[in-house]
Amino acid sequence: MTKILSEHAEYPDQQELTAAKRRGAYEAWHQVLAQRPADVIGEVADSGLRGRGGAGFPTGRKWRFLQFDAERPPYLLCNADESEPGTFKDHWLLEHDPHRVIEGILIAAYAIQAREAFLYIRGEYASLLPGIGRALEEARAEGLVGPNVLSSDYSLDIIVVVGAGAYICGEETGLMESLEGKRAYPRVRPPFPAVRGFNGRPTVVNNVETLANLPWIIHHGAEAFRAVGTSDSPGTKLVSLSGCISRPGVYEIPMGYPLKQLLEQEGGGPLPDRYFKAVIPGGTSVPVLTAEEIEGVTIDFESMRQAGTLLGSGGMIVFDDSVSMPPMLRAISHFYATESCGECTPCREGTGWMAAIVDRLLDGRPQVDDLDRLLRIGNNIEGRTICGLGDAAVQPVRSFVSKFRQEFEALLHDSSTSNAPDWQTHGHGPRTARHGLVAEEIVRSEPVTGRPTYRW
Amino acid sequence: MPIVTIDGHPISVEPDTLIIQAADRAGIEIPRFCYHPDLRPEGNCRMCLVHIKGFANLSPACTTPVTDDMVVNTAHQHDQVRQATKGVLEFLLINHPLDCPVCDQAGECSLQDFYLHPDYGLHPSDVDPPEKVRKRKALNLGPIYLDSERCVMCSRCVRFSNEVSGTGELQFVHRGNHVEIEAFEDRALRDPYAGNLADVCPVGALTSRDFRFKRRVWFLRHANSICAGCSTGCNVRIDYAENAIDRVVPRRNPAVNKSWMCDEGRLSYHNLQDLPRLESPLQRTEAGLQPVSWEEAMLLGQEGMRGPYGRVSAVVASAMATNETLWILRQCANSLPTPTEIDFRLQSINPDINAREDHLLRRLDKAPNSRGAMLLGAGAGRGIEAMAQSAEEGKVGVVVILHYPPLVGQDDNARLAAFQRLIRGAAFSVVLTNTVSGWWNGADVVLPVASWSEEEGTFTNFAGITQLTEAALTPPGEARPAWKALRDLLPVGSLSPRLATVEQIFDRGVAVISAFEGLHYATLASREATVYPPEGRKSYGQEGFAGR
Ligand SMILES: Cc1cc2nc3c(=O)[nH]c(=O)nc-3n(C[C@H](O)[C@H](O)[C@H](O)COP(=O)(O)O)c2cc1C
Ligand code: SF4
Ligand code: SF4
Ligand code: SF4
Ligand code: FES
Repeated sequence: MTKILSEHAEYPDQQELTAAKRRGAYEAWHQVLAQRPADVIGEVADSGLRGRGGAGFPTGRKWRFLQFDAERPPYLLCNADESEPGTFKDHWLLEHDPHRVIEGILIAAYAIQAREAFLYIRGEYASLLPGIGRALEEARAEGLVGPNVLSSDYSLDIIVVVGAGAYICGEETGLMESLEGKRAYPRVRPPFPAVRGFNGRPTVVNNVETLANLPWIIHHGAEAFRAVGTSDSPGTKLVSLSGCISRPGVYEIPMGYPLKQLLEQEGGGPLPDRYFKAVIPGGTSVPVLTAEEIEGVTIDFESMRQAGTLLGSGGMIVFDDSVSMPPMLRAISHFYATESCGECTPCREGTGWMAAIVDRLLDGRPQVDDLDRLLRIGNNIEGRTICGLGDAAVQPVRSFVSKFRQEFEALLHDSSTSNAPDWQTHGHGPRTARHGLVAEEIVRSEPVTGRPTYRW
Repeated sequence: MPIVTIDGHPISVEPDTLIIQAADRAGIEIPRFCYHPDLRPEGNCRMCLVHIKGFANLSPACTTPVTDDMVVNTAHQHDQVRQATKGVLEFLLINHPLDCPVCDQAGECSLQDFYLHPDYGLHPSDVDPPEKVRKRKALNLGPIYLDSERCVMCSRCVRFSNEVSGTGELQFVHRGNHVEIEAFEDRALRDPYAGNLADVCPVGALTSRDFRFKRRVWFLRHANSICAGCSTGCNVRIDYAENAIDRVVPRRNPAVNKSWMCDEGRLSYHNLQDLPRLESPLQRTEAGLQPVSWEEAMLLGQEGMRGPYGRVSAVVASAMATNETLWILRQCANSLPTPTEIDFRLQSINPDINAREDHLLRRLDKAPNSRGAMLLGAGAGRGIEAMAQSAEEGKVGVVVILHYPPLVGQDDNARLAAFQRLIRGAAFSVVLTNTVSGWWNGADVVLPVASWSEEEGTFTNFAGITQLTEAALTPPGEARPAWKALRDLLPVGSLSPRLATVEQIFDRGVAVISAFEGLHYATLASREATVYPPEGRKSYGQEGFAGR
């Protein structure tokens, strides 16, 4: 299998500039500096690279939307806020191969002729900072970053900014507000960031993984990139595998790779004496797939969409037969209720209301029509919010309740059993670890419905 | 110009007009909390969602500009929009305390009004009260009280303090449904425009300390007026009941004050209420000034003003007076048998009517009608000081003084001292004022006159915009509008035809003067918060509003 992002990540000295250069780091950067920016954009557009931050928007097209203005040069923002539950691939990239990310930032910044680029890192990733700082220092010392890069007339500064730790800071306009020193309230679009973004200037926001693809694309060419993956989703995908699986971790697989194969081969299959029950394939913001639905699904934007879900961040959370779904939904819906920034009404009020209802289901205080109420609330949120968090919060609720309805209905009828996991739920909901949320919070209780129905 | 069709009505608007503005212009109601015509749109409440043909998702009408041939449908016409709007309103109410019975906003609350509309509300409640999120109540922020549970997080107050007053004292804190408005460390607001926060708040989250628990709003009567606190001339509405003012709120006039007014102006009615009001005419007797009937006082006044004393006369005007009163006062001056000097200025220097006190609205000239007084020739003399000097030299026969204390700030002692010198030196003196005070002790006749809010008339603001102020209250005791008292002092037959109303004085008197040409009282009265003079007329200053 072609490795693009992880080709050198296994080397323990890959964080060091000399070692990374020995393996080809910054060659693409030299190459790019000899090209016209428009040609770089052309190459990336031809490669068919799609954003890895969740939405899968074609990267070349995003850059072309930029309204160029020599007076007000655009900004490049590299989004390393990675807060989607079950997602830890950007962390992995920054930890193991920071120079690949830096080179990606350089290439993108040059393509859009930015003068400054920001690497926005979530607050909880503080342990990454020394490594990233060292890598940047090295690159600066070698003249790869900074004024008159490699004696050319192009100058670029890369500034590392650490967020204070909020999911919403990963939303591109929330990120900009946060960078501007304000509360990360997402902005209403239009105007789009390509027209008015950070500091009111045209801005491109790209995910870490998206940018990390660029050195390879420049080095090997768009065609080589297109040869990997599917025609609709060229290249590879980093997946973060967590939950009830034998070998959790980050894996790079070509787009179009069968989901089931990933779980069984790379992931090593279920834990001993267990079988898979469900998988959330793209971070908690996408609909869950039951074990039956996984059949035939491949890991790419198109196939996921056909299966009624999304590739999202590629954060895959696996549930096996030991897991009861309602407490999982409690954890997830509290995440969204806590992380909703509170700017727009449907998400602010709706996420909290959904979480409160899931709470009362699990605390033995259900109302008979609570499941329909959950779905109704979801419908009143979806499509009516300022940013994508509102829609994201609805997906797990709707898919869990409709696909595992029996488990939820059991709660309605048997109000004596509390399936509440042992965590406190005062004020802002359960205090969960933000990183690898579900993986660390698996509740090993017997399923409420007796024998599980899903199996392959 | 783009033509947008809203609920089937084609509307032609300028490019970049927002859908909600186009709808407002056409009189089609789109419910809203966060949109405010004088704040930058933020699109956070989602109450104004509309359907635009060709768009899958609903769009906020308050942030979406119209384009040509756009077809928009609102909750009145479109099921999906109606359902969305109801959904948003339901969300806003799930954590709302529903304490309307003790909420000052009740009766003028957007949340109440929208809930009672079948297209947006009237849904059964779907939450258990114990499950509601609790927040802070009745937090004292100085001029304003904050009841967080009632807040709909529309951010109007935050935007006001950031964009308009510039004090930036309010911010959101926390996340999700725990979000709350907060002033840093709960400190009292130090914004001289803080009163507007209670006005911009569409619900009862921010209420005015001054008005709190004073009166249920449905008992209030309203009069459209102009603030008399300075030369800016903010358009206001006087809310009153039982012949007393309960509050003053701004009326929107984009060319003068947008939607705002300053706190000094807003609270200036208290200064009026605190004045010891003069309630009956007085006449000089051996035992000092004694009450008399209006008839007697008038006879006395007319006789005294007839003279002849063979000397000059002095008339003191006031920039607190309406144009109509000033016009009559000038007729009065003209009718005096001896050469007459008239002035409202202390010295012969023209007042700086335009000088700003801050970046927003307040001006240093604390009289509402200095511009009118200048245009009407009430500032044509050598100044009051010079007149007082002449009086002391024994050159002045008749003195007529019209005076109202300012509603913002204090009476000027130099002015009052000059009045005393005038009275002392004159052969005969008539004083028209609204307040009991010591300076007029030596006058021959003192007449009680109505104050701002007790009489109608026009003021001309610093920029030359002439605006109408309606009467709200009846004057105390026997006080009358000064123009009536002055008219009755004039020799019979000197005004022809007899001018019986403010409207007649304006149309046949004031509007004859070139600076007011073309204005009609009826149009001033019928057009709410519209700018006069219309375009093309000379303006004496830049736009009233600066803001940021
Ligand atoms: C609530 C929310 C959270 C998001 N968090 C992240 C994030 O942590 N990292 C990220 O790269 N993109 C995140 N996104 C997507 C970004 O808004 C943006 O689309 C992305 O960074 C664009 O990069 P790409 O084009 O390279 O995919 C988030 C979006 C939403 C709505
Ligand atoms: S959808 Fe949620 S997170 Fe996004 S702006 Fe609205 S309240 Fe904030
Ligand atoms: S206090 Fe009032 S104006 Fe401020 S956000 Fe809340 S509802 Fe809006
Ligand atoms: S700015 Fe002047 S006119 Fe306006 S409210 Fe204040 S005092 Fe009155
Ligand atoms: S009025 Fe449009 S979103 Fe609030």
